[in-house]
Amino acid sequence: MNKTRKRYLLSAILLCISLALVFSPTGSAAEIKSNESYILGYVYDLQEQPVSGAEVNLLDGDTLIAAAHTQADGRYALEIPDTKLVTPSLSIGRSHFETVTLELSDTQLKQLSSGNTVVIEPLTLLRQISIAFWISAIIFAVVLFLIATGTTHNTLAALMGASLLLGISYLGHPISDELFIFDFDVSISYVDWNVIFLIMGMMMFIAIVEHTGIFQWMAFFAYKISRGRMLILLPILMLITGIASAFLDNVTTMLLMTPITVQIALSVGINPLSLLIPEVMASNVIGVSTLVGTPTNILIGSYGDISFNGFLQNLTPGVIAAFIGLLIYSALIYRKDLSKAHPASDSLMSRLEERGRITQPVHLKKAGWVGAGMLLMFVFGEKVHLLPSVTALIGATALLLWIRPNIEEMIEAVDWTTLVFFMTLFIVVGAIQEVGLISIIAGWIGNFVGDSLLLAMIAITWLSAILSMVIANIPFTAAMLPVVGYLSATVPGADTKVLFFCLSIGAAMGGNGTLIGASANMVTAGIAEAAGYKISYGYFLRKGLPALFITVSLAFIWLLIKFL
Amino acid sequence: MEKAMSGIICAVRGGPNSQPTIDKAISLAKEVSLPLYFLYIVNLNFLVHTQSSRVSTISEELSKMGEFILLTAQDKANQMGVAAEGVVRQGDVQEEIILLAQELEANYVILGLPQGQKEADIFVPERIKEFSALIEQESGAKVVLAEGKPSE
Repeated sequence: MNKTRKRYLLSAILLCISLALVFSPTGSAAEIKSNESYILGYVYDLQEQPVSGAEVNLLDGDTLIAAAHTQADGRYALEIPDTKLVTPSLSIGRSHFETVTLELSDTQLKQLSSGNTVVIEPLTLLRQISIAFWISAIIFAVVLFLIATGTTHNTLAALMGASLLLGISYLGHPISDELFIFDFDVSISYVDWNVIFLIMGMMMFIAIVEHTGIFQWMAFFAYKISRGRMLILLPILMLITGIASAFLDNVTTMLLMTPITVQIALSVGINPLSLLIPEVMASNVIGVSTLVGTPTNILIGSYGDISFNGFLQNLTPGVIAAFIGLLIYSALIYRKDLSKAHPASDSLMSRLEERGRITQPVHLKKAGWVGAGMLLMFVFGEKVHLLPSVTALIGATALLLWIRPNIEEMIEAVDWTTLVFFMTLFIVVGAIQEVGLISIIAGWIGNFVGDSLLLAMIAITWLSAILSMVIANIPFTAAMLPVVGYLSATVPGADTKVLFFCLSIGAAMGGNGTLIGASANMVTAGIAEAAGYKISYGYFLRKGLPALFITVSLAFIWLLIKFL
Repeated sequence: MEKAMSGIICAVRGGPNSQPTIDKAISLAKEVSLPLYFLYIVNLNFLVHTQSSRVSTISEELSKMGEFILLTAQDKANQMGVAAEGVVRQGDVQEEIILLAQELEANYVILGLPQGQKEADIFVPERIKEFSALIEQESGAKVVLAEGKPSE
């Protein structure tokens, strides 16, 4: 078959498909008939947020005439059949809300009878505080408590919470309607798949990068260019750790940076904590500047529709200010320890040099190219509405295809426990959203801040910074997102998404306050202890709390300058 | 018949708390003219609440860190005229110490008795005596507990 015939055949196929689509009886244009009348309207909650999934029924006496559900924006459209209505009324109800019944007026009835569309005034549904409300709130609090105390693995705690919520909904519903929280489909709708796939893609990418020896090489390179001068080595190590954390996850960065840092410190005879504590704090601070730098930013970016550039442009100056503050603070508190450094012995130096070699140069080169491509897609992808999760998946797949590693090993490298944690956590947080607890909290904060953007910024930044010290920042951020979303929609001037940036700073930099404030802190402490240098809760608090106030204050000042 | 003497094992955790143990091992090795083996055991218990998929990577990194910690101890021993080797193992601390003592038919096992350890740790006064007895019973090596002020 020559090229011209192929082209004709292809054109004919495309023409047939187009004709089939145009004349299809299921096409949207065919659904609306000119002689039918509609009842249109909107449903909101007390915080003026749209209520989706509410059941809207048109009744004539006890007879159901028409039914519809509200959409995500709270809108509904009831198609009215050609029937004579006598005493029509509109009933609007949804789980966890009081049902509202509205009698149609004579004028509205006449309009419907003459085939016209009736637009109903927006309706407000009041929340119903049922047993399901208290069950969801208690389960959420217990999950938070288990995660905070570490008595149960994070994933198991969230999994138990999600199972209990669904179990009670399904098994309790036949006993009492009050026990119904949500069904499986609704619970799954709360899972943010953009977050899940973004984390998964980045994990695959990191699994390849971490074996190349790049972290060890960078640390040794820092040692070499500092020529053993600790006040030069300290900022370089902090910067390397911070920049790596902005593109990879903090835990992996610290898992790889801590052992080599311990070795550098031991070789020059200083306490490794004088380098490790500033490093992990820098990792928590600089990670804030990008969408993929912290798990909390991934959550915030996806919920608040903030792009990679959005974080970079709005937070980088504040992060730089916070980093400079942290650097000065670290140099001051560790100046005595750092001054004890002496030149490394030949045997230790040669071992350090051996450790500081790139182990897989070919893989590193390929990962570098793919990483650069991903960065470009993150930066420019927003122009074509490219989701970050798609970029991460494309990047990870391209790297796997190029390097062709053992695919089973790579899949095993994905931390499924973390992904299950996120999925089940979304369900647990979704439950308190579904029953209205989040709306109530949002209402309280909304009443407190009123119309003041400054007050809202102070409340979100410092509340999240202080709470992130004692409760895990991932569940906290997940729960705060709808609250911040509500405040962004209601507080004048907050539509710039500034409150999401406040949450980002507070939740991530707040992790510097305590040992349990960030997973990277715990990993660093674990490795340091394995080297004989214990980081106690009290030690971290003494060093971390001032760092928290310095870094959060400086970043907050930047947000005030930019957004007020 | 008395068993041939074959070496001294010194379990090292690293850090200032290990220095009295290392010093004791070096002085004993000098005194009895026996080869000295510094032992570092990789313990991954701290990963319980973090990413489990990173176990192989972190185990590799900790092994290398352990080798380095032992190298600093070996350096110290060499400076004092004692030849020392480093051994890195991964697993249960008690089991690995006993296993190495059996493998080397060690005569002495030097353990540290530092201050301020967690209750769950075996290196606390209450539990270390029990553990010492177990080592002596299982391997025939004599256990020496090193006490002293941790160096800065």
